[in-house]
Amino acid sequence: MKQPQMNRRSVLKAGAGLAGLAALGLPASAFAQERRLRMYWWGSKERADRTLQVNKLYQNTYTGVAIDGETLAWGDYWPRLATQTAGRNAPDVIQMDYRYIAEYARRGALLPLDPHVGKGLDLKDFPPSVVDSGKVDGKIYGISLGGNTSSTIYDKDAFAAVGLPPPNLDTDWKAFAKLMAEFTKAAKRPGYFGSQDGGGLEPIFEGWLRTRGQELYTPDNKLGFGEKDIEEWFAYWADMRASGGCVTPELQALDKQNVENNMLTLGKAAIGFAHSNQLVAFQSLNKSKLAMTSYPTGGPGAKPGQYIKPSMLFSLSARTKEVDEAVRVLNFFVNDVTAGKILGVERGVPASAPVLKGIAESLDDLGRAMADYIAAMNSRVGPLPQTPPGGAGEIQVLLRRVNEQIGFDRLKVADGAKLFVSEASRILARG
Amino acid sequence: MTTKPNRSLPASFAVHGALLAASLVMLYPLLWMFASSFKPEEEIFTSASIWPTALNFDAYVRGWRGLDVSFGVFFWNSMVISVLSVIGNVISCSLAAFAFARLQFRGKNFWFALMLGTMMLPYHVTLIPQYVLFLNLDWVNTNLPLIVPKFLAADAFFIFLLVQFFRGIPRELDEAAMMDGCSPWRIYYKIILPLSLPALATASVFTFIWTWDDFFAPLIYLNDMGSYTVQLGLRNFVDSTGRSDWSGLFAMSSVALVPILVFFVLFQRLLIEGVATTGMKR
Amino acid sequence: MTTLASPSVAVGGARWVRSLRRNLPGYLFLLPWLLGFLGLTLVPALGSLYLSFTEFDLLRDPRWVGAANYVRIATDDPKFVASLYVTFVYVALSVPLKLALALAVAMLLNKGIAGLPLYRAVFYLPSLLGASVAIAVLWRQLFAGNGLVNQVVFLLFGVQGPSWISDPDYTLYTLVVLSVWQFGSPMIIFLAGLRQIPQDIYEAAQIDGASKVRQFFRITLPMLTPVIFFNAVVKTIDAFKAFTPAYIISEGTGGPIDSTLFYTLYLYQEAFAYFRMGYASALAWILLVIIAFFTAFSFLSSRYWVHYDD
Repeated sequence: MKQPQMNRRSVLKAGAGLAGLAALGLPASAFAQERRLRMYWWGSKERADRTLQVNKLYQNTYTGVAIDGETLAWGDYWPRLATQTAGRNAPDVIQMDYRYIAEYARRGALLPLDPHVGKGLDLKDFPPSVVDSGKVDGKIYGISLGGNTSSTIYDKDAFAAVGLPPPNLDTDWKAFAKLMAEFTKAAKRPGYFGSQDGGGLEPIFEGWLRTRGQELYTPDNKLGFGEKDIEEWFAYWADMRASGGCVTPELQALDKQNVENNMLTLGKAAIGFAHSNQLVAFQSLNKSKLAMTSYPTGGPGAKPGQYIKPSMLFSLSARTKEVDEAVRVLNFFVNDVTAGKILGVERGVPASAPVLKGIAESLDDLGRAMADYIAAMNSRVGPLPQTPPGGAGEIQVLLRRVNEQIGFDRLKVADGAKLFVSEASRILARG
Repeated sequence: MTTKPNRSLPASFAVHGALLAASLVMLYPLLWMFASSFKPEEEIFTSASIWPTALNFDAYVRGWRGLDVSFGVFFWNSMVISVLSVIGNVISCSLAAFAFARLQFRGKNFWFALMLGTMMLPYHVTLIPQYVLFLNLDWVNTNLPLIVPKFLAADAFFIFLLVQFFRGIPRELDEAAMMDGCSPWRIYYKIILPLSLPALATASVFTFIWTWDDFFAPLIYLNDMGSYTVQLGLRNFVDSTGRSDWSGLFAMSSVALVPILVFFVLFQRLLIEGVATTGMKR
Repeated sequence: MTTLASPSVAVGGARWVRSLRRNLPGYLFLLPWLLGFLGLTLVPALGSLYLSFTEFDLLRDPRWVGAANYVRIATDDPKFVASLYVTFVYVALSVPLKLALALAVAMLLNKGIAGLPLYRAVFYLPSLLGASVAIAVLWRQLFAGNGLVNQVVFLLFGVQGPSWISDPDYTLYTLVVLSVWQFGSPMIIFLAGLRQIPQDIYEAAQIDGASKVRQFFRITLPMLTPVIFFNAVVKTIDAFKAFTPAYIISEGTGGPIDSTLFYTLYLYQEAFAYFRMGYASALAWILLVIIAFFTAFSFLSSRYWVHYDD
């Protein structure tokens, strides 16, 4: 396959008329440099600013290389990556999500990094569990850009106002339900509730399952739980809705599982569930002071429900022409302390201990809260679950839909459980 | 204008009252968006008010600086693509429409049906084959995939639109010209085009606005931030997974409306004057 | 359309020349489109037709599976049926309402009212904002349970309205309202059509003493039928392919409970969220056949009600 970037000159010469006109719109920089790498990530403007700054730093340190940054928002990111990959024109350095890495790695789109470990890619400061989190079927396909775990984000001021203690690291599921019902009663505001409805959210369902010693999926890609289990789960949230502990289905349906439509942001609930690295985003859209704790637990002696997962990874395209250069960029992002200071904890808490130590004092309050939370959770988490099977994304949507069907009284709890298990099995069989 | 306003005063009041009320419904989102560009971030999602609580131009300054590249670059890119698209679309689509509306040739109905058929396939599934095609032509990461199709009348909407308008022009006109020995080219150029100014203006307005607003094609074909269009730039303010710059988004969204509004206002004059200036007689 | 019967010519060469002379101008005018069609449009379209007979996960090479995708759609896909239903309801409601509103406003704005250009621009504005993220945010706020719409409803009727944007009984209709609200582009086309009706016809009618109502039914409406036909066909095709409204309002989920799972949204999920481009391509070609059926029907019916001047 030809490298399009190299050939712009020839395109211009060849397609005189139209091409000449169109070239008015070409950036001048496209004609400069000799060796170029394409780096692609999703995220906000803030992430773009930080990443581009590190790229500049890299280009100043190692001259002769130019990194073309390409950035889009999450929703736009994946269709373009899929299209480029299908066209064998993927960027060299690709920001990956834990959900998608297996899809891409198993289909041969990503470069196995094992041969470069110790030779250009330094992972000696990485805890083994973090290295493992970038593995698919035993090979390393991605390097964590930061650690992350699920969290319960709550409105500190609201809890103070009603005089109830906010949930903490030891609150179990039962106590959580009770607390939420009490909160709603105490708050006495129509349309304002203790918690969002978490019944349709896969991460929190997974956390609940794991406190019971179960998993979402078995190693042979079947459901790791039965009809009775998920019936209990749906019933927990049905009771919660009945007691007023969580929002109504009409409200929850406004939530599109992003920061700006979360029940907390919309002022409908005092509690929202999110990833720990989203605290900053939540705070920027909320007037009152927010804080963070873990998901409810299974009580004393129960297994830990949560795990630390990479919030984002960097992977390399299997077709990159500049393997060594790309590895060096990757290494720079995860091991260089100056780069780490620029990146902060915007993508999650860095895995390398020296980097984390190096950036500690430059963190602001929210950044420190995030780092402290991860540090506190380190002793309260379980191992990573196995890589999700094909169809996992579809099942995630199914969970949400069935919880809605129950919420809107279209299905009884038991029928919802039955429907979920039969449809999920169908999806898994199709793969 | 068609008729003199010879209505009674109350009737006139009623008409304007209704139009003004409707205008408010139509304008509300724009006003809200504009107001939101001045609001503190945490107010945007909880307030549908169109009165800003403060007047703060930070978002405009911050937004205009854009990503690594200034928003001015995005505007320039969008402008180049949109203007070239208008030129390409109007020329190529009016040529094809003339053939379909006025000329006789074998296979006309067949081609016309195929042309309409191209409007019916959802673009998501032709995306990858088309990407591979443009990649092999070495057009990816240039403006060519966005512009060349416009010069080749790829958007059947406009051909069909112009066909409908051309067919409304009295046929005696070109038959008479044909008798006088005019070539099809002269009929197209001297009779059909001048008589179709409202339709051509309409096509120009839509091409400009839709090209300006399009984000999917630029999303797929433009990689370098320096080549991003306004719509791509706008979509970088917001990321559903992290911290977004919402007031920046609304500020730049408001600014991004200016060129299309200006274009609309300019061309709507043409749309109105069209018939009056041609002095068409039957 | 009248086609002159070609006089049959005995001599082969002359016939060829004659045929060329008759057909050439048409093809010359069509040339840019033909080049684009054969070079840029046809190949990807055929590509997707081929993919519809394969299993294609975007990242690995497609694998031929014959008609399996089509068989599955026909026999074993409840979401296909559900999304088709949503789309039909949307087409059936949004197209007539939008066109009626667009025509009514265009008629109103075609008269000599002070401030006309301003009104025109204002009424076109929603269509400019169309599919932006900003509109999605506002739309959700306005139509939520305690949103502005319900506050107005409460003031006027004293009842508490539902959450129009998140109650599965109403979401689809809210999207219809959104679509109707963006009636700008058919309105502009109607306006252009109205402007193209020669004024002397009206003057003649006025001299003959025809009433305004009679003028509308005898002149305006018949003269406008080509444009009405155009808007109806194009808006129907657009509505069948509607993607963006549902995509941005529901953030691509089609929820709540699949109430806004438009056909193309389902297709998009299959293609890009679940990596089943082969299956999505089959869905696309079925949609094409459905749309083509409706379009062919409109063209056949157009003989009876569309008046061309040729």
